[in-house]
Amino acid sequence: MAEALLLVKDLRKTYINGFEAVKGVSFAVKKGEVFGILGPNGAGKTTTLEMIEGLRPITSGSVILDGIDVQKDPYAVKERIGIQLQSSSFFPNLNLVELLRLFSDLYLESSDPMELLREVDLEEKAKYQVKQLSGGQKQRFSIATTMVNKPVAIFLDEPTTGLDPQARRNLWGLVRQIQKKGTTVIMTTHYMEEAQILCNRVAVMDEGNIIAQDTPEKLIRELLGRGFVPKQKVEPATLEDVFIDLTGKEIRD
Amino acid sequence: MKRTLISLRSLTVASTKMYFRNKAAIFFTMFVPIAFIGVFGLLSTSSGSSLTLDVTNNSPSQLSHGVVDALKNIKAFKVTETTQADSTDKLGKGKIDLQVVIPESFGQPGADGRIAPSQIETYYNQAKPQNGQTANLILGQVISGINAKISGTPQIVSLKAVGVQTNNLGAIDFLLPGILAISIMQLGIFSVAFAFVSLKTTGALKRIQATPTHPANFIIAQAVTRLIIGVLQVLILTGMGMWLFNFHLVGNPFEFLGVALLGVLLFLAFGFAVAGYAKDENAAAPIANLVTFPMLFLSGTFFPRDAFPAWLNTITNYFPLTYLADALRRIANEGAHLSALVPDLLGMTIWGIIMFIVAVRVFRWE
Repeated sequence: MAEALLLVKDLRKTYINGFEAVKGVSFAVKKGEVFGILGPNGAGKTTTLEMIEGLRPITSGSVILDGIDVQKDPYAVKERIGIQLQSSSFFPNLNLVELLRLFSDLYLESSDPMELLREVDLEEKAKYQVKQLSGGQKQRFSIATTMVNKPVAIFLDEPTTGLDPQARRNLWGLVRQIQKKGTTVIMTTHYMEEAQILCNRVAVMDEGNIIAQDTPEKLIRELLGRGFVPKQKVEPATLEDVFIDLTGKEIRD
Repeated sequence: MKRTLISLRSLTVASTKMYFRNKAAIFFTMFVPIAFIGVFGLLSTSSGSSLTLDVTNNSPSQLSHGVVDALKNIKAFKVTETTQADSTDKLGKGKIDLQVVIPESFGQPGADGRIAPSQIETYYNQAKPQNGQTANLILGQVISGINAKISGTPQIVSLKAVGVQTNNLGAIDFLLPGILAISIMQLGIFSVAFAFVSLKTTGALKRIQATPTHPANFIIAQAVTRLIIGVLQVLILTGMGMWLFNFHLVGNPFEFLGVALLGVLLFLAFGFAVAGYAKDENAAAPIANLVTFPMLFLSGTFFPRDAFPAWLNTITNYFPLTYLADALRRIANEGAHLSALVPDLLGMTIWGIIMFIVAVRVFRWE
């Protein structure tokens, strides 16, 4: 783990109506790690991501990504990153290959759409439209679109929300695969077991503030160190393990 | 620069594909205008000038057949031979203009061996007296011609009628430019407002903003697609009118197309103002309808504005659709050149600029 790829300093967002969505957050993401931003709905996760991505004006503070100041040159930042939005909506009436070709052109890249689809296991859906895909397939396609420009970092906003356990596990595999190729991943989620399994480090946000950040293991150890005792006895397996064992690992889409 | 060109090309290709694969958009901007031209074209040609006559010939005489043949030779008549009962029924239903009954005794020699005087009876629909009376007048001419021939009276006064070649403008020549102008308005306002607002609400537009292309490229691509559709509308509707319904494009076709495209740009500015302002489809629909509805009926598209009261005529003079419909009509009907249409073109340009400024001011990306 080398130098910081992303440096966020005292980032704030205050809307015109006076609402403070983000109240001064600071964190750094190292090259090659999976960094998770956790928190309940309305904690300010998406607003924070969108300011970093250059999609939303920054009220104050600074964001430096790969040495570039987002406020000074948002287009240069957008060229280096891949963004998956929470809605994952695309132009209607175009098939997957046509959409990927469009995105490649917008980045002045010449990526092979079929190659990208192979990476996310959607080759056989090449001529399908996004509306014909299942939830998990949509998210995988959405991740494929973030890869057209061979980004240094990709941002995933709640990539597994609404997916069934099989599809979610499948997506975890995809994120690991992306990390293995050296791409930094910054993601939000409100599933804690997901963060524990995928993220090298996490930041916990609530009401616009980061209230803790570290590796998942260290955060758990600290909690236990404060004398925490779980309310109920933790079994060595969860109901989800039972579900996966009963229904099989393969995805159903 | 290179990025802009590649983005523009790729976004335009994508926009055009999206448009042609969107069945609703094609239905409203292509099929509906074609159906309009088809229906109005058929109505205006069939209701032309021919009068429908039903003739019942009860007489075996040669003279009676001569009368029937003479009627059939008159171009203004559409003559059907049928029974009296049938034609009475059709007259009662308003399907024919004149019922003609030739009595059995017609043209038969009388006791003195000469042809006995007899009457042809006609019945016309009192609800359409102009048609019935016109038919009667022509019929009267035919009969007096026959009378003159039989009695050998010399013709002292005669009429020489000469047909003169004119532009011969029919109803279609008034309607087609109007319908074309309406299609252009609907294309500019509805196809942009709804497509754009839907991309805005689903988040597809935001996904494009997440790429390094400037969002304005997407707007230009959308506009280029609409201009392509506009050219197709002009070609298809005008071609259909000329081929099927005897529409006359007296003026320069390129000037006609140019004015149509200026119209597309004008209404695109309206469309983007609505699309940029509206938060979702539910907000876009009433605004778009509020803008288009009065113009649809008051801009002299389906019927001339001459019949309006003076004050309404004055107000509607300044409607953007009035400028467009008038300019198209004057090129098509009178062969007017752009130089003669400066007031219309200026009116369209000013409206276009105003709405462009409004669009830029009210535009919201999300």
